[in-house]
Amino acid sequence: MAADFLRVEQLTVAFGGIFALKDVSLSIDEGRTTAILGPNGAGKTTLFNAISGAVRPTAGKIRFLGEDVSTKSPSSRCHSGIARTFQITQPFGSLSVIENVMVALATKGASMAEARREAATYVEFVGLSAKAEDPARVLSTGQRKRLELARALATHPRLLLLDEVTGGVDRPSIPELLSLIRRLREERRITIVVVEHNMEVLLDLADDAVFLNRGEVVVTGGMQEVAGHEAVRSIYLGDIDAAA
Amino acid sequence: MLEVFGGHPYRAILVWTLMLLVVPFLPLDDYVLHILTLFLIFAVFATGWNLTLGILGLKTLGHHAFFAIGAYASALVSHYFGISPWITIWLGAIIAAIAGIVIGFPILRIRSMPHVAIVTLAFAEIVRLVLSNLKEITRGELGFWGIPPFDPISIGGTTIQFGLGNAFGSFAVAAVMFVGVHLLLLMLLKSRSGLTFLAIRDGEAAAESLGVKLAAWKLFAFGVSAAIVGLSGAVYAHYVLILTPSSVAGPDMLISLLAMIIVGGVGRFFGPIYGALLLTVSSELLRDFGDYRMLLYGALIVVFVFVAPTGIAGLKPASWRKPRESASQPAEAT
Repeated sequence: MAADFLRVEQLTVAFGGIFALKDVSLSIDEGRTTAILGPNGAGKTTLFNAISGAVRPTAGKIRFLGEDVSTKSPSSRCHSGIARTFQITQPFGSLSVIENVMVALATKGASMAEARREAATYVEFVGLSAKAEDPARVLSTGQRKRLELARALATHPRLLLLDEVTGGVDRPSIPELLSLIRRLREERRITIVVVEHNMEVLLDLADDAVFLNRGEVVVTGGMQEVAGHEAVRSIYLGDIDAAA
Repeated sequence: MLEVFGGHPYRAILVWTLMLLVVPFLPLDDYVLHILTLFLIFAVFATGWNLTLGILGLKTLGHHAFFAIGAYASALVSHYFGISPWITIWLGAIIAAIAGIVIGFPILRIRSMPHVAIVTLAFAEIVRLVLSNLKEITRGELGFWGIPPFDPISIGGTTIQFGLGNAFGSFAVAAVMFVGVHLLLLMLLKSRSGLTFLAIRDGEAAAESLGVKLAAWKLFAFGVSAAIVGLSGAVYAHYVLILTPSSVAGPDMLISLLAMIIVGGVGRFFGPIYGALLLTVSSELLRDFGDYRMLLYGALIVVFVFVAPTGIAGLKPASWRKPRESASQPAEAT
């Protein structure tokens, strides 16, 4: 039952002759937080793009809640409960912060007044109320990451894909961001998949982990267990040293 | 959406309406009314084009084709079938909208903006060539004349005449269209349609990931945009009463209109109006320069792209943005 939440079955994504993902199979359980680990170019973002629908799989299937969503558009996957944030944030620069969040609500048929009311709660949740009426383009990187989170939440997701939430964020702001993410899981029962370079963050946040290298799954299991794995240590230790 | 519409967009439309209401009471000669009528028609044309070009952010360069389609459709039907222009202008708008949606389909699949520009430009050339070559129907480049003017309408005791020698009537039609189109479009864009169009412009992938159905929204924008442009073309046809394919769908029209939109402010709701006013008036003042005007327009586009990429409309908000920013600072400091 729980195993049917998200299943990736023998997923292959090729760009020309280059395999970004090769025969990747994994399953993610509802209510848990899963980390996707791997060096640069391992295929982490491509996996996100394939799950959210931004790239079409060359082969293989993606099942969400038992339904094959492999060929569905990103917008219809969003309507079935998959939301994401982007590694390189994509705020709607000419819209205000609150309007950015309203886009997600208006597209589901809410009136502008309803959308504004509900958007305000998400803007408040991520701590951007003071900036609500400012154009999104003036936000700092950390604020943009929080805006992405608010927008994604406004789609009422069951599965949330977070791509590098702490990337480019100043270190003092990281704990606050992490506590937000933990609240999502605890208060809203949202299943989270997170791509992240910062091992401390992952050990703190994730229950399970999948380690990718060169487009293939090397290890899967509990976060602690995967972090301790030889292959992960050999590739990731450099990152820990660099971060410290 | 503030930077697109400015602070009080409905008030701005009210001001324009009041100014247009005053015009008939001013001692203006027919020549001035003629220039104002052209300005109003081109302002609607430019606003319609700005919807896809500036607000949706697709670099469409072929909207003069929709102007020509609206103009010729209305002119041909009213001429050959004897139907009142009051009805055929809507037909022109509808046919242009259908053409807009049809050309929208291939554009949905194109992600690269230069290709969108080339496809739409090529479409406009096709429309121009078809209109020139259907000589039996359109008389080609000889010009299609004998277009009926709008039928007179009587309100109370007075009858408003249109056509040659009745500058006021045509001005009134253009003014009603100007106010109506801008008011309806503003209402549309202040709703979730506008929010969605701007989201698509600023981040297509992000918008799609939030559940925005890109194809449907883009086709909708194309349809509305082409309908507005087609309507302005139809009104133009029954005003000038003669059409040639190269005058309505030729490169001069393309450059003039792009200059209006860029000078006025791409993606600003009121930008194209300012651009249309400035360029229609200056084009009359520079009539002696003949074809060199196009050279001047080209130079104007280049200057604005470098010096003021947000156009005339973008110059104004800078002054009222300052008080807003200083107002938000105390909140930040706490």
